[in-house]
Amino acid sequence: MSLPELDRTDYPLSVNRPDLLTTPTGASFDSLTLDRVVAGDVSAEDLRITPDTLRLQASIADGVGRRQLAANFRRAAELTAIPDERLLAMYNALRPNSSSKAELLALADDLETTYSAHHAAGLVREAADVYERRDILADEDQ
Amino acid sequence: MTTTAPTSATPGGVTPRRSLRTESLEARPVNLDGFVEEWPEKGMVAMDSAFDPAPSIRVEDGVVVEMDGTERADFDFIDQFIADHAIDTDAAMDAMALDTVEIARMIVDPGVTRTTVRDVVAGLTPAKLLGVANHLNIVEIMMGMQKMRARRTPANQAHCTSARDNPLQVACEAAEAALRGFSEIETTLGVVRYAPLVAMAQTIGAQVADEVPLTQCALEEATELELGMRGITNYAETISVYGTEPVFVDGDDTPWSKAFLASAYASRGIKMRFTSGTGSEVQMGNAQGKSMLYLEIRCILIAKGAGSQGLQNGSISCIGVPGAVPSGIRAVAAENLIASALDLECASGNDQSFSHSPMRRVARLLPQMLPGTDFVCSGYSAVPNYDNMFAGSNLDTDDFDDFNTIQRDLMVDGGLQHVGEREILAARQRAAEALQAVFEHLDLPRIRDEEIVAAVYANGSNDCLPRDVLEDLKGAQSVMDRGITGLDLVTALDATGFRDMAQNLLTVLRQRVSGDLLQTSAILKGMVPLSAVNDDNDYAGPGTGYRPSGERWEQMKRLRHVTSAENPETEVG
Repeated sequence: MSLPELDRTDYPLSVNRPDLLTTPTGASFDSLTLDRVVAGDVSAEDLRITPDTLRLQASIADGVGRRQLAANFRRAAELTAIPDERLLAMYNALRPNSSSKAELLALADDLETTYSAHHAAGLVREAADVYERRDILADEDQ
Repeated sequence: MTTTAPTSATPGGVTPRRSLRTESLEARPVNLDGFVEEWPEKGMVAMDSAFDPAPSIRVEDGVVVEMDGTERADFDFIDQFIADHAIDTDAAMDAMALDTVEIARMIVDPGVTRTTVRDVVAGLTPAKLLGVANHLNIVEIMMGMQKMRARRTPANQAHCTSARDNPLQVACEAAEAALRGFSEIETTLGVVRYAPLVAMAQTIGAQVADEVPLTQCALEEATELELGMRGITNYAETISVYGTEPVFVDGDDTPWSKAFLASAYASRGIKMRFTSGTGSEVQMGNAQGKSMLYLEIRCILIAKGAGSQGLQNGSISCIGVPGAVPSGIRAVAAENLIASALDLECASGNDQSFSHSPMRRVARLLPQMLPGTDFVCSGYSAVPNYDNMFAGSNLDTDDFDDFNTIQRDLMVDGGLQHVGEREILAARQRAAEALQAVFEHLDLPRIRDEEIVAAVYANGSNDCLPRDVLEDLKGAQSVMDRGITGLDLVTALDATGFRDMAQNLLTVLRQRVSGDLLQTSAILKGMVPLSAVNDDNDYAGPGTGYRPSGERWEQMKRLRHVTSAENPETEVG
């Protein structure tokens, strides 16, 4: 299903286009009421953003000329499926002198194959190249 | 930095007689501030150094192959990140062909739209941006800021901390900060293990009024992200970037790790901005002989390239460094302007204390307060300075009435308002009772009624009753171990009779489903997202842009003591 093209008049989506918003569990935005929270019908998982919503926000950002912000949202859309701990570990792996080139390339492959995170994988591969050139990779034998 | 009064003993040990005028001036607070001569080789120069590179760019097949005199093969990782992610290569050749003075004039000229300026600036290299900034005097920088800030409506941010990490005090301070108009509040800790309790307390306190500030807890990157993911905080700001490669590596990050972190936050629907500031590279001992503003411009471009919606800059915790050199505070205003011109949200400093002089403190504030920025302070100490765990602030609780008066005098909206004591006490009381109830509900260390009375009427932590720190730290650990989330706080607030606060917190948490707070310069106004998308700055000269009016201006007219026009024997407000 292709996403609708949005512009600035659709923002804020929570006010103007709640019909387009769902939670990762498929609940509608308008169903996130206090009564349902208190009844235990809303989980912490429901209070997370979906990849589609991030892509909708990306199209709004593009429409107002914010190319890099939109690219960030598109990378973020790919990362929504990654568990919190794994995501933190990926971030730590990108710190200087933390990973070998092979480890970074393996991380990129994992992002691509496990999570279809092509933009994020591209960022990690780019880092692997730059880190090698600037000598901030971990030693292979560590 | 400290200074010692210069003495000029003459040979023979006879001290020449000093005039009484000199003695009087020596006693002025400004002479406790530190000032140093410029030392360009060490980067102790604000914004105009002979060692800064000359602007240049060469683009081949859409790739920047030379920038500011450096060939691509010799780029450090910052050069490469900026070249590949920040600079708009389609705009670069035309933009770089313009004279720096012409671009500077476009920034100031109200006849040139914000969008036009933004699209030119997007194609500039760091050295070219520096050249532009060097043409602008302080008033022109303010003119530029008035037009270039992203959000039309200015706002303000506060620090809510406690020297004893007392969660009850922080809840009360957060409630008062909400009433006074702050759109964001942040806390940090003396004892880091206290973080979960204090962050919870701040978020609960923030929910007492109709206007709810977003909350954050400044910690090491990974911990800050974890609290955000749980929904105990609403945004993050301590994503530091630096202008030289060795300092960046010392900070244990790279532009790529930070870009990944930016996406990690967005993937959880959490608002985030980067942080940088002039002087950090000098302070960390590796400025590579470049001016402070040149290095800061590199930081701003990293934030832009990483897709961060915004940046906290304005020297921040390094303000003593630019504050000590000629034109340093002008450079700080220029870094805010460049962030805004690059279309980033700017939380514009006026943060850490830098001067003993009340006059200097105000002079340092005005370049942000007068034109308005996305957050005039980042932040204003909503606690007494001794309680400020961010190493103090340029403005604190003692300055509330002065700040509100300056807003009224100059008809300038710095985001705050005067609030009557009765209303403030009621909000502090309610926040304290809510925290007490939530702690009890979640089986966290007890808050006694007498603690509440002390905290509600307190000025600072010295007036609060001491907590059992060991018990609190056990409680803080259990918040983490049990995986308590923002949603648990909603449930607890509702279950204990604070339904309106539960509703407010749920409304804030729901925003991470919509992603609306991820857009540039987003805050909540009347519980609805207001950002540079639906409130984009439309300043185009006199008669346009944001001006306080209507209900807001009436609100700004109120002060602690205003004589009634109808009955001069009484006061209004």
